[in-house]
Amino acid sequence: MLNRKLGIINLSKKKVIIKKTPDSLKKLFLGGRGLNSYYLYKMIKTGIDPFSPDNVLIFGTGFLTGTLVPNSSRFNVSAKSPETGILGDANCGGYFAAELRYAGFDRVIILGKAKKPTYLYITDGIIEIKDAKDYWGMDTTEVQQTLKKDLGQVEAAVCGVAGENLVRFACVRTGVKNAAGRCGLGAVMGSKHLKAVVARGTQGINIAHPEKMLEIVEELKEYIMNSKVSSILGSVGTPFLYEVSNTLGAIRTKNSQLNAWSESLNADVVETFVDKMIGCSSCIIHCRHRNKLGGEGPEYTAVGLLGANLGIIDPAHVIELNNICNELGLDISSSGTILGWAFELYEKGIINKKMVGEELRFGDFELVKRLLYKISRREDFGNILAESTKNVERFSKKSEDYLIAIKGLPQSDPHDCRYIKAFALGIATSSRGADHLRSRPTLEIFLRLPQEVRERIYGKGVPNDPTSYETKEKTVYFSDNIFATIDCLGICKFICHGFNSPHFVDYTWMKKLIYCASDWHFKEKDIQEIGKRVIDIERMFNNREGISRKDDTLPKRYFDRPMPLKVAKGHHIDRKEFNNLLSRYYKLRGWDEDGQVRKERVKELEALK
Amino acid sequence: MKYLYVYPEKCTGCRECSIACSLSKFGECNPKKGAVTIVRDEFNRYEFPIVCFQCEDPVCLKFCHQNAYQIKDGIVIRDEDRCVGCRLCAVLCPYNAVTTIDNEIIKCDLCDGDPKCVKYCSTEAIQYLEETLELEKRRKKMAEKFLEINKK
Repeated sequence: MLNRKLGIINLSKKKVIIKKTPDSLKKLFLGGRGLNSYYLYKMIKTGIDPFSPDNVLIFGTGFLTGTLVPNSSRFNVSAKSPETGILGDANCGGYFAAELRYAGFDRVIILGKAKKPTYLYITDGIIEIKDAKDYWGMDTTEVQQTLKKDLGQVEAAVCGVAGENLVRFACVRTGVKNAAGRCGLGAVMGSKHLKAVVARGTQGINIAHPEKMLEIVEELKEYIMNSKVSSILGSVGTPFLYEVSNTLGAIRTKNSQLNAWSESLNADVVETFVDKMIGCSSCIIHCRHRNKLGGEGPEYTAVGLLGANLGIIDPAHVIELNNICNELGLDISSSGTILGWAFELYEKGIINKKMVGEELRFGDFELVKRLLYKISRREDFGNILAESTKNVERFSKKSEDYLIAIKGLPQSDPHDCRYIKAFALGIATSSRGADHLRSRPTLEIFLRLPQEVRERIYGKGVPNDPTSYETKEKTVYFSDNIFATIDCLGICKFICHGFNSPHFVDYTWMKKLIYCASDWHFKEKDIQEIGKRVIDIERMFNNREGISRKDDTLPKRYFDRPMPLKVAKGHHIDRKEFNNLLSRYYKLRGWDEDGQVRKERVKELEALK
Repeated sequence: MKYLYVYPEKCTGCRECSIACSLSKFGECNPKKGAVTIVRDEFNRYEFPIVCFQCEDPVCLKFCHQNAYQIKDGIVIRDEDRCVGCRLCAVLCPYNAVTTIDNEIIKCDLCDGDPKCVKYCSTEAIQYLEETLELEKRRKKMAEKFLEINKK
């Protein structure tokens, strides 16, 4: 279990060092996102340019990745983000992470910059730096297929053309559609001339108590498979969330000018495009749609942000745009948000034809398609859009009022957060910017959740009213902590307690799983400390880069413009209430009023090794 | 007699079957060490579980010079004490159902009637069923396809 290695690769010096990650660190952070964030904090100097050789790029698998534990397919890619200038981190499924572990490694840390296109080839304990001349310029599918042709049954994490061209929201891809999507980490690969990390291995992961693991997993599988949510996710995938939000009037539409959109993008329609539902390594949920248009997806994010947010009605068009983003290696969330923003700015006359080169409008599929290609190649206006939220300076200060982003990161959730207040606090405080996969207390949307269940999860006094600000800091605090922990374990959030279901893998299950895999006895409260530690160290990274209370805010529109349609009509975020909520959240976290991690805690965490 | 039957159209590619197999037989999680292999290629869009057919006239048994194989209650069993690890069975099996890795020969024994691959599959892509004429017909057809490919 614990015999996987840590590879440190310096691309400038063409040097590989193979080390062991100390058990002491694993006991503090487990692995995955937690250890990645620890290393980022230790290894990255404040203020560096994310595109410089000084940036540190980490591929880290979770503590249980590649085991029998359900949905243990995940890894995190982390670096300083070129899109936001703060902590960059993205979690990803597929088959690469398991393969990296079978090849003998938990984690690779990549330093420096290669002189010419390069890839890493990792096989059974060996890391080689290889020439990627023949692969440079390839789309994400072509490069993976060519690598398989050249090297056999390998798994690879790659960047696409967008990453090579330093598009600030280029993703890291593995397989047909799995992406470490957010924060522009594909562009960090591009900046290091790193086309791919390729793994192939035959080394099994030794389990401390095999019989026990077989027994616990059987129990857990039964428990998860009996839930309604599991069967919905397994048959239609995440698009089912579109209808939930749309019925409420909380689907970001045309850059949040509207809050509801067409039923033509409902899950039952998307389902007609599905060939087969497939899974990641060890997955028992199988939410991946192999679509009839040659790719995989769409996820809820694509349906919302490449559909409603761009004014597109035809589901076939949305799926095609989804497939194009995946091919080019563009993050779908940022792509849909940035394009929607540009379209509204054009409508409002804040940017004009002289800058853009052509007319921009919502609902134009061909235009979106063209722009996605141009962004990935940094051609014409695409070269400007590729700068993502950094365009505020170019487009004028006023343009910022229309931007749906926080801390420079375009909002990933297609959900308009003006109605559900806890969602708003979640995206405002998430450690990588406006993102729903860090801390969204999804259960807030399930209005019929029994009160005793709600209180058992989040604590006493949390009201069954999503529009109330009261005690909502508790829901975000709980979610942020447990999602961070599940990211450390390498397990998918879809079976995490409190993400899509009030059941599933909670701290008690985690304790059992960790024990049978490693023979480590954790108390539940020790595991809870891990999540808190990760959130604090990520905040320390961000504090060091200048992040404070002023940045934990929301798009202006969420405060100042009430929602126009449906159940959510009239709702917006009250500044004063939000401020109080934020203060209560800081208090719960133990951060000071300015959102800084307190000195004693910084000292404590800096001393860990 | 019960055998394994595979339904590739239900297989999601996740490999819980292979990992459960390797964990139960070798105490490690390693899909490459399972007696079930999922042949998958997401780019060419297929997932296919390969299991041992427990052939009536098995090549592994026929060519084993140590007579390590025997058929017991319809199951082709390898006797580890007799086996010298020459790997001829793995080389000869036309269905690639006997495999070898780390000096181990991996051959399905149906887990004493409680096959782990079936237990840990979440979509019933591998099922352990009493043989019927219809099921056997389907299985034979599958086997013939394999042989056809092997001849090419």
